[in-house]
Amino acid sequence: MNRSPTQTIVFWSVAILCVVALSAPTLVVLGASFTAGNIIDFPPDGFSLKWYVAILGERDLQQAFLRSVIVACICVAVSVPTGTLAGIALSKYQVKWAGALQIYLLLPFTVPLIGSGIGLMLLFGELRILGSLWPIGIATAVINLPFMIWAVSSSAASLDPDLELAAQSCGAGPLQTFFNVTLPAVTPGVITGALLMFILSLNEFLVSLLLVDARIVTLPVQIYNSIRAIITPDLAAVSVVFIAVAALAIIILDRIVGLEVFLKSK
Amino acid sequence: MRRYKTSYPISWRFMDVLEAAFALVLPRGGGRLTPYLLLTPAVLLVGTLAVGLLYIGDSSLRVLDRSTFLFSDYWTLENYQRAFSESFTATIIWRSLAGAVIVTAVTLLLAFPYAYVMVRTSSALLRKFLLVALFLPFFIGQVVRAYGWLIILGNQGIVNDALALVGVEPLRLLFNYPAVLFGLVQYMLPFGVLMLAPALTAIPEDIEAAATSLGANWVRALFHVVLPMARPGLIGAGVVVLTLSLTDFAMPAILGGGSQDFVANAIYDQFFRTSDQGFGASLTLILIAVGSMTVGLVFAVFGAGTLALGANRK
Repeated sequence: MNRSPTQTIVFWSVAILCVVALSAPTLVVLGASFTAGNIIDFPPDGFSLKWYVAILGERDLQQAFLRSVIVACICVAVSVPTGTLAGIALSKYQVKWAGALQIYLLLPFTVPLIGSGIGLMLLFGELRILGSLWPIGIATAVINLPFMIWAVSSSAASLDPDLELAAQSCGAGPLQTFFNVTLPAVTPGVITGALLMFILSLNEFLVSLLLVDARIVTLPVQIYNSIRAIITPDLAAVSVVFIAVAALAIIILDRIVGLEVFLKSK
Repeated sequence: MRRYKTSYPISWRFMDVLEAAFALVLPRGGGRLTPYLLLTPAVLLVGTLAVGLLYIGDSSLRVLDRSTFLFSDYWTLENYQRAFSESFTATIIWRSLAGAVIVTAVTLLLAFPYAYVMVRTSSALLRKFLLVALFLPFFIGQVVRAYGWLIILGNQGIVNDALALVGVEPLRLLFNYPAVLFGLVQYMLPFGVLMLAPALTAIPEDIEAAATSLGANWVRALFHVVLPMARPGLIGAGVVVLTLSLTDFAMPAILGGGSQDFVANAIYDQFFRTSDQGFGASLTLILIAVGSMTVGLVFAVFGAGTLALGANRK
């Protein structure tokens, strides 16, 4: 199709502007982490890996990172089975009050994060479980659960129900049908969802901030607390961890389902 | 019979035992209850949130006694009366709402061309590049991104250092309202584009070609064909961006430096600085109400768009 050159110029200019604005913080953090100077400066004071060496000696940053990974793993362990079963149920079965159920299951998206965080903080405080890591994992699982359900239900919709009937008429029991037919069919959705849940939980800031105390800060909270004091390049080096994890997740996502799946109309 | 048994693999036997146990617990695989059983864990998990909301509601009705620092054991609407009478509440709600509306407008204005060229480009490589440019910041998280902006826009930041090289006085680019809005737009762009792109994919290119071949220039084709057809996607993207920026905490906190608080920051302060849990809880419910009313208003004026009960659209 022939497009007007003006339109091409206008649209591409906006797109390029967006790419610059989207990438600028990432690139700057990457660049700053390799500075040889003691403050972040432009033009940079030469190249060195000294801030990476420095974070190897900073126990609090490492521990904060480890805690974030633990939280993300708990989130995945809780949300993936839960969301997978719910996604299959919603897309394969006729459910009574499906509308009300969907509104209920979308609560994590409709309630603002500050509301969810405060509510869970009050609940967990009442249950006396604040101060450990696993409630934070549960909390990040709750607030991101609709992503998991969405990922699974969109791949379960393409599952032909006749396949399950075929398995059953060949003598497979309900469990065998589930593990050998249903689950493999939704695997791309499960993996997509699991990746999203891991990344979103690893990065979760506000709900973490509300649920942690000084002994169990997660990495985003640690970075937030530190940038309010002085911006030093060691924070840039530790932020590169997030960038690396994000890049890895994108590569895996692209390999398994292809990023283009997010452009498809449903 | 013996030969049959030896050819029966151990994993099958294991499965048989599992199936038998399963059948014992749930005869006929749960029968008509199956979907409800599958949904139970999710319902329970989201239940923590529902219970949390009840706790917020309860706290919001208890007023803090400033002499004993205890909360009243009776329910009262005092916190709400205070919230509606203090000008502080109106200021932060107004600041958040105005900010969210501006951020939504700018984000949609930027996200639409981005989504359009991403969907329509004939180069698979370019499309992949634009997708990666979206997903990378989306996956990095707000704090690291805000940290990047601090390095770029700070008083000794990259922009000011570059300006100093050409002899321009340092500008105060951070800790003001535009900085917060700028950070929010950058944060919201991936959400906006990813919500819009499927709606644009659904518009056949032939329809645009038909419009232009009948003599419409691109602006007319855009306003009379593409934008009306993309409307559900625009509404969906708009509502998501609006609610997320209305309730954001990190950008006002980091790029606003405490002087540009949104409602979420005020709520945090009530809980963790002033320790007035009751007032904080009432602000939380007011924020949820303002957010829901805004979304309701958008839906009433424009329709529900792609968000019309999203979880399993067919």
